[in-house]
Amino acid sequence: MECKDYRAQFTLLLTGDLNQSQRSEIERHLAGCADCMTEFETAKKVWDLMGEIPQPEPTESMRANFDAILSHYKEELIVKKNPIGEWINKLRESWYMQAQQRLAFSLLLVAFGLIAGYMLHQPGQTAISYNRQIDSLSSQVSELKQVMLLSLLNDPSASQRIRAVSYTDEITNVNIKVIDALFTTLNEDPNVNVRLSTLEALVNLSGEPRVREGLVRSIDLQDSPIMQSAIADVMVKLQEKSSVQSLRKLLNKKGLNQMVKLNIEKSIQKLI
Amino acid sequence: MLKVKNGDIDKMGLLYERYYRQLYRFLFNMTRQKELSEDMVQNIFLRMLKYPEGFMGFGEFKMWMYHIARNSVYDHFRKVKRTPSHSDMKDYEERIEGDQHADAPLEKEQELKTLETAMGKLSNENRELLILCRFQELKYNEIAKILNTTEGAIKVRVHRALNQLKSNYLKIEN
Repeated sequence: MECKDYRAQFTLLLTGDLNQSQRSEIERHLAGCADCMTEFETAKKVWDLMGEIPQPEPTESMRANFDAILSHYKEELIVKKNPIGEWINKLRESWYMQAQQRLAFSLLLVAFGLIAGYMLHQPGQTAISYNRQIDSLSSQVSELKQVMLLSLLNDPSASQRIRAVSYTDEITNVNIKVIDALFTTLNEDPNVNVRLSTLEALVNLSGEPRVREGLVRSIDLQDSPIMQSAIADVMVKLQEKSSVQSLRKLLNKKGLNQMVKLNIEKSIQKLI
Repeated sequence: MLKVKNGDIDKMGLLYERYYRQLYRFLFNMTRQKELSEDMVQNIFLRMLKYPEGFMGFGEFKMWMYHIARNSVYDHFRKVKRTPSHSDMKDYEERIEGDQHADAPLEKEQELKTLETAMGKLSNENRELLILCRFQELKYNEIAKILNTTEGAIKVRVHRALNQLKSNYLKIEN
């Protein structure tokens, strides 16, 4: 064997991987070869020095940390094996949303509440519904007054009848029944004062053609000079030209008051 | 390990107890970074826990552990794209100047420093061989299994690595 063959075995000698006879063979060579001896000594020095390099110790917490990893992994495994547990876990995860998502969701809810509240509580609609209620109430009151008016017109007391007539101003939609009752009072009521106030009330309703016609017809039927003058004045006021014929007929009536006569003539002139 | 594979998780705790210091030293000697090495230990054990089927074909837990550890180390080297030998030399020296050698004679201290510098100048592959052989005290056949080669090839490679270290050491010393 040459020197290089012995040198090739130096590492095996250091690692203790040679048998007894191989070891003694190398040792014999080293004893006789100074170069190889130096070479081996350097190798041995480096090898021994390597053994002296301090080996670091891991942190003490590593053991405990791994136990934590292990138990966590075990929990995961249990959850995986148990589908109900996994399901509960998923549910829990979805339930505990991220803080940001939760905040966004609650803000959304508040916004939704505000919008919904605003839409449900629009002031315009409330007013309309109030108005509707008031309308229906006032129409009920109006109906009630018409009934009262009709019953009071038959009252024996003249003052009560005048009160009944005065209700016409308060009734918004005067119906035909009331108008007819008023004309009956105008033409037939024994009390002049009642007839006068009825005339006034009817003048207020002169917007209706039916009322105007009735007034013209009523000219013939009036006997009292006060009523005759008053109705002539009303005709002038309403500028009811169709009444001229009736007024002229009244002029020819026997026993007509002179003052009334003059008044009617004036009225006719005004109307023509 | 077969028990772990069959679902006995607690057995992994025992394996960890037995090997984590050894694994940590290997990783530290390769990377020269304490925290990184500790993280790698935990990750390697977790990986073995999650994928126990990889154990098949190694026969021995230790070999499988080193196999995964090597992959992690070389992954790390690829990521940082630099060898730790130059970058972490300071760490090396600081450690030596720190506590362990405070009482050692000045000459020995100097020698150790020189050796560690010489180690740092080795290629990753040579350094790895010496770490496995000398620091981890693995047998040639064990290293061969981990590196997936023959025992004879490992003997030659370890011998070359030691020669390289020796020449590095002598260069620095002179």
